[in-house]
Amino acid sequence: MSKPTNAPKKTLAQKLNQENIAGYIFILPFIIGFLAFLALPMLMSFGFSFTRYNILESPTFIGIQNYIEMFTNDAKFLKSFGVTLYYAFFSVPLRLIMALLVAMLLVKSTKLSGFYRAVYYLPSIIGSSVAVAILWKRMWASDGVINALLNAIGIPCDLAWLGRQDTAIWTLIILAVWQFGSSMLIFLSGLKQIPVSLYESATVDGANGIQRFFKITLPMLTPTIFFNLINQLINGFMAFTQSYIITQGKPRDSTLFYTVYMYQNSFTYNKLGYGCALAWFMTLFVALLTLILFKTQNKWVYYESER
Amino acid sequence: MKRKVMALSMAAVMAASLTACGGASSTSTTAASGDSSTSTTAASGDTTTAAASGDQVNLKICWWGNQIRNDVTKKAVDLYMSQNPNVKIDIEFTDWSGYWDKLSAMAAGGNLPDIIQMDYSYLNQYQKSSQLADLTPYLEDGTIDHSKIPDSIIESGSIDGKCYALSLGSNAPVMVYDKAITDEAGVTIPEQPTIEELYEIGNTIYEKTEVKTYYDGGINMMQIVARGNGSHLFDEIAANTVDSLAKHFAYVEQFNTAEAAISPDLLAEKNPDLVETKPIIDSTTWNDFSFSNQFVSIVNAAGRDLAVCMYPQAEDATTQPMYLKPSQFFSIAETSQNKEEAAKFLNWFTNDVDCNKILLGERGVPVNTEVAEAIKGDLDANTQLVFDYVTSVGEIATPIDAPDPAGKGEIEALGKTKVEDLRYGDGTAEEIATSFLAEANKILTEAAQ
Amino acid sequence: MDSYKTKRTILTVVYHVFTFFFAIVMIYPLLWMVMSSFKETNEILRTAQNLFPSSFRLDNYVTGWRGFADYDFGIFFKNSVVIAGLSTIGAVVSSAVISYGFARCEFKGKGIWFACMLLSMMLPFQVIMIPQYILFNRLGWVGSYLPLIVPQWFGQGFFIFLNLQFIKGIPRDLDEAAKIDGCSIYTIFVRIILPLIKPSLVTSAIFSFMWRWDDFLSALIYLSDPIKYPVSYALKMFSDPTSGSDWGAMFAMATLSLIPIFIIFLTMQKYLVEGIASTGIKG
Repeated sequence: MSKPTNAPKKTLAQKLNQENIAGYIFILPFIIGFLAFLALPMLMSFGFSFTRYNILESPTFIGIQNYIEMFTNDAKFLKSFGVTLYYAFFSVPLRLIMALLVAMLLVKSTKLSGFYRAVYYLPSIIGSSVAVAILWKRMWASDGVINALLNAIGIPCDLAWLGRQDTAIWTLIILAVWQFGSSMLIFLSGLKQIPVSLYESATVDGANGIQRFFKITLPMLTPTIFFNLINQLINGFMAFTQSYIITQGKPRDSTLFYTVYMYQNSFTYNKLGYGCALAWFMTLFVALLTLILFKTQNKWVYYESER
Repeated sequence: MKRKVMALSMAAVMAASLTACGGASSTSTTAASGDSSTSTTAASGDTTTAAASGDQVNLKICWWGNQIRNDVTKKAVDLYMSQNPNVKIDIEFTDWSGYWDKLSAMAAGGNLPDIIQMDYSYLNQYQKSSQLADLTPYLEDGTIDHSKIPDSIIESGSIDGKCYALSLGSNAPVMVYDKAITDEAGVTIPEQPTIEELYEIGNTIYEKTEVKTYYDGGINMMQIVARGNGSHLFDEIAANTVDSLAKHFAYVEQFNTAEAAISPDLLAEKNPDLVETKPIIDSTTWNDFSFSNQFVSIVNAAGRDLAVCMYPQAEDATTQPMYLKPSQFFSIAETSQNKEEAAKFLNWFTNDVDCNKILLGERGVPVNTEVAEAIKGDLDANTQLVFDYVTSVGEIATPIDAPDPAGKGEIEALGKTKVEDLRYGDGTAEEIATSFLAEANKILTEAAQ
Repeated sequence: MDSYKTKRTILTVVYHVFTFFFAIVMIYPLLWMVMSSFKETNEILRTAQNLFPSSFRLDNYVTGWRGFADYDFGIFFKNSVVIAGLSTIGAVVSSAVISYGFARCEFKGKGIWFACMLLSMMLPFQVIMIPQYILFNRLGWVGSYLPLIVPQWFGQGFFIFLNLQFIKGIPRDLDEAAKIDGCSIYTIFVRIILPLIKPSLVTSAIFSFMWRWDDFLSALIYLSDPIKYPVSYALKMFSDPTSGSDWGAMFAMATLSLIPIFIIFLTMQKYLVEGIASTGIKG
């Protein structure tokens, strides 16, 4: 590993201080945990994706038949994949923009900022419980709060938002945007990490608020934005509960999330083998997207330590 | 014919699956409360059913349910343990949807509890994969006394002549309706309306009250229509026969195009699949379809009195389609080390009056007719109504369809999609019936492999 | 000068009016849930459009707290605190350590391990559930808290990645200076980096606690004795589509179950906003 040199033999302390060794020491917990608890189940589920397996009986090896079935003979696979793409495409950017705007609003220190932060974070705390499901359905019902509000401001509306194929998915997208709390928290801590001195010197140079935002805040925040983007992307594609408990995919599978379809196959239809194949396809797809994003990283993400 | 196919595939499966699920069953009996307290005060209660040897026996029982069921079942289990000090029963309960995820994980780990609460739609699948013990010997030697239980009940838990699951209560398909609305419209609902009558009634009600009608397009109605034709849905699908399906989808289309019918948008929004959002709850419709065990919770959710009648049948039905369905079963795991003791518990649970005075028909009308009679006085009005309804169905019922074949879940989902297609105007009843049949047949064939 | 002052006051008022109004919109659903917990069960569904109950009743809290089969919510809350608490400590500590390795050390195979970490974030739990159950069953862990807590002690992808981004935002000059002063990689981590990534550690802690608190799936799969059930899992049992649901009791207990997460958030959020800016290190 290390190149042979004539240098005197290193002491243990020195050896441990080498990055090559220290690095491994630091990530050792991850390696152990990964190998012990994740690697085997992952391999097994990958293996299952080449079998017919109903959980109760031993799996039967069927080669790549599951994958062939997916692409040639399963309209719901394509449908749910499309729905999920659509959902992620809109909910992820909208949620991030919302989170960033609110974080900018709340980074200001006022007497009430603690209170505001709590309030804006609350919707994310209640997460996707059954309570939210019931509430959300009631709000978007044809005789619900949303239509009442629209009528009040002069837009006559009695749409059954959740009953129409073109609008149902949007109620779920709005739900996702509404729960921007976790991204907001991360933006908040990211904003706070930006040294004040940068702003001070910029103000001295006569930069106004908007200029300061684009010259300092945004570039300095790119690592956080990058993190949130990757993370929300993964979340967007793995979204499950909203579709599962609010719409059950209705109407006509227009809100059938990929993960829900995968779950149905694995457990409701007892085709875990097929479910695993679906899962691995999605995982590889998301991995590919992530990889592309990582490749673009050096074009727009600014790291203080790599200046 | 069907039985034959099933028997064949079963044999094949049993031969092929010296499963990964064997072994390691008794090893991890809940790390709970460390001490396996050997004697739980042998003083109290009579010990008539105690095992002769007096050896300590550990049983594990698992069910799904809500607060009421969890409470009463625990009480019943406690009573059993006090009467049988040598038996210690560990309980485990969960919610409905989680239950099946958990059970399949436990099956995969060879870890099933001794006594499993079982549902009709999962019975076939668990039996087919040899997870369930055959109860026939215990029924024959009297460990489980079935002298007061109708044979049809035992049969409902039997596959190929062997009993794998003991029904805990009976259920029947039901149409729920709002009597206040039908009275207002001046119509009376027959005890068992025909589908044609239902259509007319719906129109009258809509004219008089503007309340809409819901027609069940789901798999329950498909089965009812097929049964009325003297056949069974899954037999027809397997045989690629379109008769009953064509009829079913034609009815769905007829109701859908009627002005009185709830619109597809509203139907998707209300979602009759869930008790709490059923369109009848907020009087969007005057009727809804369900099973009798859900009646009380529908009434609770609606907050007003509702009435019941039987599922409508086609005017030209040749066979009575109504049937009794086991609300749920208890099965014993094939991996259980204490099958005999588990069977004793099942016997007590179904036949003991004291036990059922605690349970109060929470799992449906008790299968032991004497027990059912004994507890009837203790029930509230709505439960009583359900009891009476189930009794009246019992008088005319024909035997239930064989336990659902593998692939049922997927076919049911397919049915929902197809009915939505039809309701949203994406095809005629005929086209939809044909495409449903083709796809359902494929699912069935593949699932049987 | 005066006009500047007026302008500032107006801006402040606008800021607060806007933020406050928006806050109401945000919080409405939560208010609804809390209010619903005081309604009668059937009132919840029928009068969902009304925020306030016709009369405030505590019945739901009484029936809800009673729990199931002699196990009340006191037990479930205690269990949740144990599970979420131990998991969070483990996840935060281990993730911090691991992230430093990824951020500041160059070593062979780093890319592969990093990819493994990302992969672990992408795989849906549902598909590894069955294999993982088989694994933990072999280890004899099923029925105990071990499968819920132990894996948390080996780092969580999300937190590792989060810390990583923060550490990358810290200038290397600091490390170099410390190195010259004779600090080893390890002391740099403890003395320099850890204090500087406090916001991300706090964020991790808040998230970890909340996620573990809400998680019911692993409890469902791995726990068997009701005396060990956490709140999240117990909440599910108020609803049963096959017989009947008690929404009132569920909402009441769901409301209570928010309190611990909220307390954690309130006590921690002030650490969240003190970053480099207030610790006084200039970039």
